[in-house]
Amino acid sequence: MNLEGLDTSILGPAFVAGLLVLSTHVPLGRRVLARGIIFIDLAIAQIAGLGVIAAHAFGWEAGDWTVQATAFGAALGGALLLYWCERRWPEVQEAIIGTAFILAASAGILMLAGNPHAGEHLKDLMVGQILWVDYQQLPIIVGLYALVLILWFGLVRHGNHLFFYLLFAVTVTASVQLVGVYLVFASLIIPALAVRKAGTNGLWIAYGIGAAGYGLGLLLSAMLDMPAGAMIVLTLACIAILSPRFVMSA
Amino acid sequence: MGRMSFRGDAMKRTGMLALSGTLLLALTTGAHAAIEVFTCEPEWAALVEELGGGHVNTRSATTAQQDVHHIQARPSLIAGLRRADLLVCTGAGLEEGWLPVLQRRANNPLVQVGALGYLEVAEYVPLLDRPTRLDRSEGDIHPGGNPHVQLDPRNIGHIAKVVTERLAVIDPAHGDDYRTRFADFSRRWDEAIAQWQERARPLRGVAVVVHHNAWVYLEHWLGLEVVGTLEPKPGIPPSSSDLSRLLSQLEQRPASMVIRSAYQPARASEWLSQRTGMPAVLLPSTVGGTEAAQDLFGLFDDIIGRLLEAST
Repeated sequence: MNLEGLDTSILGPAFVAGLLVLSTHVPLGRRVLARGIIFIDLAIAQIAGLGVIAAHAFGWEAGDWTVQATAFGAALGGALLLYWCERRWPEVQEAIIGTAFILAASAGILMLAGNPHAGEHLKDLMVGQILWVDYQQLPIIVGLYALVLILWFGLVRHGNHLFFYLLFAVTVTASVQLVGVYLVFASLIIPALAVRKAGTNGLWIAYGIGAAGYGLGLLLSAMLDMPAGAMIVLTLACIAILSPRFVMSA
Repeated sequence: MGRMSFRGDAMKRTGMLALSGTLLLALTTGAHAAIEVFTCEPEWAALVEELGGGHVNTRSATTAQQDVHHIQARPSLIAGLRRADLLVCTGAGLEEGWLPVLQRRANNPLVQVGALGYLEVAEYVPLLDRPTRLDRSEGDIHPGGNPHVQLDPRNIGHIAKVVTERLAVIDPAHGDDYRTRFADFSRRWDEAIAQWQERARPLRGVAVVVHHNAWVYLEHWLGLEVVGTLEPKPGIPPSSSDLSRLLSQLEQRPASMVIRSAYQPARASEWLSQRTGMPAVLLPSTVGGTEAAQDLFGLFDDIIGRLLEAST
């Protein structure tokens, strides 16, 4: 048992980052689950990473904002492509998404063969670590997610899938850099899975499960001195597994 | 010549540190019971313990089983650095993937870059493998030179002096104790180096293949001859043509063993070992890398023991 990590100035920024990620990922995740395209976040994140590697391969020296622009650009391009595939071959969309993921990952490895420095950028993009987040990074995420939520609840929720794909691409490209791809996947899918049979309050119950998972995971990671991201995935899953009875009776 | 100017720099630096140490003493009231030392790698924690004894509490951010280039964030790392009076790291770019974020999150003014409580030991020893040409296509190279300096015990001897002076500046109340302990350590260390060199004499000129370019200081010290590297460029996994080139190279110039460290996967070196019949040797690259490498003395005892065993 280790109590020195139980410090709000250490766990606080990580918890706030987690709540921000949940704010967008829970509603988007319910749509992802309903449509059965659960690997879309991995595919989009990998395509964003591929964009960054490609930019390196073409000899662009990476400044911070050019890396970001390439990552978001590639993610949006990938989202458009996946949207087009869905229109054309809706019955095999999940298989196409899975294939897009391994294709982007393999293309990245081939391009990296001569340039491991691009690999460091890829790592920065894909495996953000939630404990390294500090408050200075959060305002821009707050702004971006506020916009995403307004567009989602205001316009997209009942409407066009194209906008869903585009909003999803922007959201995930930001969140994988903040908390890493495992936590992004867990935040999207696990709360949505737990409340799949719940009715209209499903969204709020899913938010509750997500917040409890992040809170408990951070506390346990501090007390047991374990890597925070992996611990949160574990506690999210445990809370979701324990919750169905609660959700059914609610 | 290069060596002289480097010593001059170090002396100037020590002078400045002593001055600012006096200032620090004037500002703080009373000395700590024990100073908290946070190190990036276990070898420096082991060294600080040798030199600080009961006056220091040490902890290392990484263990011998981890690749120091990449670590997972744990709350205790931030909490530990927040309480630290002194941060000792290798530097030369080895920890650049995580130390700056950790320092930022810990937000401890005592251990920020440029502060008295921040010590990058690679600055104080001559670095090998300084790239003549800085080109990203050459792989994961460190522009300042190879950072794995702990694998030449003579470097540890130089660094011990620097660490002692820094401890004495930060904790002047025990300055004499640190210097006494240094004198004792230094004597035992020099004797051990002489013994190791004697034992390792048969290793001079022995041809080896290495997994990653992490052993240059050891090779340089013992006179090992590297005839091949599994990773064609540092940090890049070998392709099939790299491996076949390595195999034909080894037919021309056979090696006695293939070396890897505790945190590297065994598969590549086992593959080469099966193909060529030469033994694959796991060496501890730092304290804790093997059962026997429990302190700095055990580290080099074990390295030399394992090399001798494999070469006969």
